Amino acid sequence: MAAPDTAATDDRTGTGPGVSTDRTAATAAAPSPPVRTQQLRRMNATGGGRSLPLLTVPALVLYLFWTVVPIVFVFVFAFFDYRGILDFVASDSLVDADRFSGLDNFRLVLTDAVFLQALRNTAIQVGVAVPLMLPLAFMLGYYLDRRPPGWRVLSVFFFTPGLISISIKGTIFYAMLSPNGGLNGVLDAVGLGNGGAVDLTTAWYADPRTALGVIIFADLWQGIGWTGVLFAARLSAVPVELYEAAAVDGASEWRRMWGVAFGVVKGYFGTMVMLQFLWTLFNSAPIVYILTGGGPGTATTTLSFLVYQKAFQQQQIGYSQVVGIVLFLFGVAGLVAIRRAFRQAY
Amino acid sequence: MKFARTPGTAVAHVLAWLYAAVLVVPLLYLVLSSLKGNLAIFTSPYALPSAPQWDNYAEAWTTARLGPALGTSVYVTAASVAVTLLLAIPAAYALARSDSRFSTVAYATFAAGFLIPPFAALIPTVFLGIELHLYQRAEFLIAFLPATALPLSVILLTAFMRTIPKEMAEAAVMDGAGHWTVLTRLYVPLSMPGIITVVILQALGFWNEFFYSLVIVGTAPTERTVQVALPIALISENTDYGVLAAGTLISLVPVYLVYVMLQRRMQEALTAGAVKG
Repeated sequence: MAAPDTAATDDRTGTGPGVSTDRTAATAAAPSPPVRTQQLRRMNATGGGRSLPLLTVPALVLYLFWTVVPIVFVFVFAFFDYRGILDFVASDSLVDADRFSGLDNFRLVLTDAVFLQALRNTAIQVGVAVPLMLPLAFMLGYYLDRRPPGWRVLSVFFFTPGLISISIKGTIFYAMLSPNGGLNGVLDAVGLGNGGAVDLTTAWYADPRTALGVIIFADLWQGIGWTGVLFAARLSAVPVELYEAAAVDGASEWRRMWGVAFGVVKGYFGTMVMLQFLWTLFNSAPIVYILTGGGPGTATTTLSFLVYQKAFQQQQIGYSQVVGIVLFLFGVAGLVAIRRAFRQAY
Repeated sequence: MKFARTPGTAVAHVLAWLYAAVLVVPLLYLVLSSLKGNLAIFTSPYALPSAPQWDNYAEAWTTARLGPALGTSVYVTAASVAVTLLLAIPAAYALARSDSRFSTVAYATFAAGFLIPPFAALIPTVFLGIELHLYQRAEFLIAFLPATALPLSVILLTAFMRTIPKEMAEAAVMDGAGHWTVLTRLYVPLSMPGIITVVILQALGFWNEFFYSLVIVGTAPTERTVQVALPIALISENTDYGVLAAGTLISLVPVYLVYVMLQRRMQEALTAGAVKG
């Protein structure tokens, strides 16, 4: 961070990208003209110039403002007793000293049965979704990369869910899995529904036995195909000779997939595990919101949804932010573990 | 090199097509439902509609007030893409041409952005929105969404701009060109494929954004985006599934049109977005 502060101040009075055209104006305000001239000369000689990195500042500022500042405040609000968004709108300052409540929120959360249930649901969700999705997606990617019959059509099918927003995915699942919906319709048609020997139909997202499964399935439905297409793109860089050599050595298709192809993309596989882990951990709130609202009871209340629910539906900001901290620690621990598991790759 | 004909590969074919069916059946169900009433949807979900109810589309347009919502989504998406480019292009230009310590740190900061999940700090983000007087206004998204898009945009564009030979820029500078000229006349035209990739990728992300739109901008008909308008219609009692399906398909039309027009480029863009690692 050794960038010259003096340059920072006068360059920002210029208009961002127009730094050099405004240089004459900026030079007038610069504290030490000789340094300026030197800089100008160096810039002309190398095409770089010390002020060049300052063009990153506007992007850095906006990005850090919306990431770092909110995360810091998660840790602040956990120690305060705000009663909801409106309560916050009513108070004058960002942090109100009268509402400091020490560790009360932590005591409340850590002994709350709902929180423990949410912790369990999240552990199940992450523990099932991530280990299922990534190996299946990798195998699908390998399959596509081998150009099987109809791979073009298949690629379009697998790619399409990547275009769909969470709200549309939620709407589709809501209609598909409603008691009179498309899934029960299929089951009826094949004799596994009402009146058949075995009745598998149920109110999928209102049944405590299946609700959490629905949330997990919604992620897998979209994620396997999409991640599979990504793996296929990565694997297309693997030279065919590698597979051929393995085949000559008598390696089966299965061995070539896990022995040759996986070795090549292992680092990428580790990155995808990390991203999928974080995504599953933090982003389940919207799909839970649309499909189940956390219910029935607390059957699908995940930590991510609990953060939202406590703040916006039950007006307990402090509680919500303690859950946010737990989520954060969960995320860091998971990342460290995943990194360790794929260590050779880095 | 062909797949061997073994039982194992036969299983692979079956599983791949089975999964494809699992992906396609709900979409088919959606299209069929959009032309039916509730009764037909419930009793014969996969039958072709006996008399297609095209009214569902008109109904969805008016009851969910999709017109204004689509307008808001277009506005938010276009403005957010503009802000993203305005910030990311100069930043990438600087990172591609400079290797000072500050640039290294800046690059590392953007690269770390991939590991900060967007929902990590939802509630404080709401508070910032309130403080900035952007709460329950669509403009919040224009101020906020580009920040979430910057890490990937900057990294992708920097990678593109690094392939431009530095000598070209140096020659231009010798002729008296400033950064502005070098950037607009040389770097932007030469990295157009990268810029288009970023536009496609981020426009799709902005168009599809749901949860911040719901929580911070809210459901007021004048401010809400199309992604929010749809599930709201769903939560209302007496859901008319046919109308809901029609509305969902309407919101997919812009995405699908872009997809058809730019199919190969879009596939490349979305893959590039995730292959960043």
